[in-house]
Amino acid sequence: MRRAAVAFALTLWMLALIRVMRRLRAYEVFGSSMVPTLRHGDFVLADAKAYKGRAPRPGHVVVVDDPRDPERTIIKRVASIDLVAGVWLEGDNAEESTDSRAFGAVSVAAMRGRVLAKYWPLPLRLWRA
Amino acid sequence: MKSFLGFLKPARSAYAHCDGPCGVYDPASARIPAEAVLSMAKKIAALGDATDLESVYTRSRFIIIKEQQADLVKKELDILWHDFFKPEHLDKFPDVHTTFWEAAKLASKNKTENDPANGDALLATIEKIHNMFWSAKGRSDVPFYTAG
Repeated sequence: MRRAAVAFALTLWMLALIRVMRRLRAYEVFGSSMVPTLRHGDFVLADAKAYKGRAPRPGHVVVVDDPRDPERTIIKRVASIDLVAGVWLEGDNAEESTDSRAFGAVSVAAMRGRVLAKYWPLPLRLWRA
Repeated sequence: MKSFLGFLKPARSAYAHCDGPCGVYDPASARIPAEAVLSMAKKIAALGDATDLESVYTRSRFIIIKEQQADLVKKELDILWHDFFKPEHLDKFPDVHTTFWEAAKLASKNKTENDPANGDALLATIEKIHNMFWSAKGRSDVPFYTAG
């Protein structure tokens, strides 16, 4: 009985874990526009369903469809959000970033996910409080 | 270690990008064609109004080079203006827009007229851009010089 309870709890926990993991997407960072937060070659995890029914908030690091090349995904920080204009993105490294200052605001629909963690190189860094 | 990293390596890429050869800007790329424009204006002026066939051919060639190099100046100025200079630079250099506008206008003037004075004026404006550019990058060790 007790073993069954443990197995049940473990199964529930595994299902919950799978549910969370299915939302996660790993990305490799190319370029230096997010220095010092992220460097070229860093590996990050993004929650692909972060913006299903919720809006991005200023400060979030996001992966987004490149408004100028839909085949490409870009990584930037949300500077501000406006219901009409959309999401204003900026790189942390302003001097070396092509972002909303060049291509304007992007739509919430273009958001591919919110970056939650940098997992390589170590140490791991988490963003969600 | 390598296979461990291979295991961790994501399949997706996210670009923390910057257009072009990122961060590598230098007003010298506008200065060089501007010098060529000035040089051609001088050479065209030196030909005077000679109308022998040889001079006509040479003059045509000089004009073509002057036109092309003036276009190149405009293109390089544009790259500096809208890729390097950012809104935050305007606080420190409020005349960024007027200076670039002036420089682009002078590049056009070098096309429509043939007067070496226009070439000198263009180079002087590019020197102003040079000074703003390196000051924006926090560097005081880059002198303005000319090849010609």
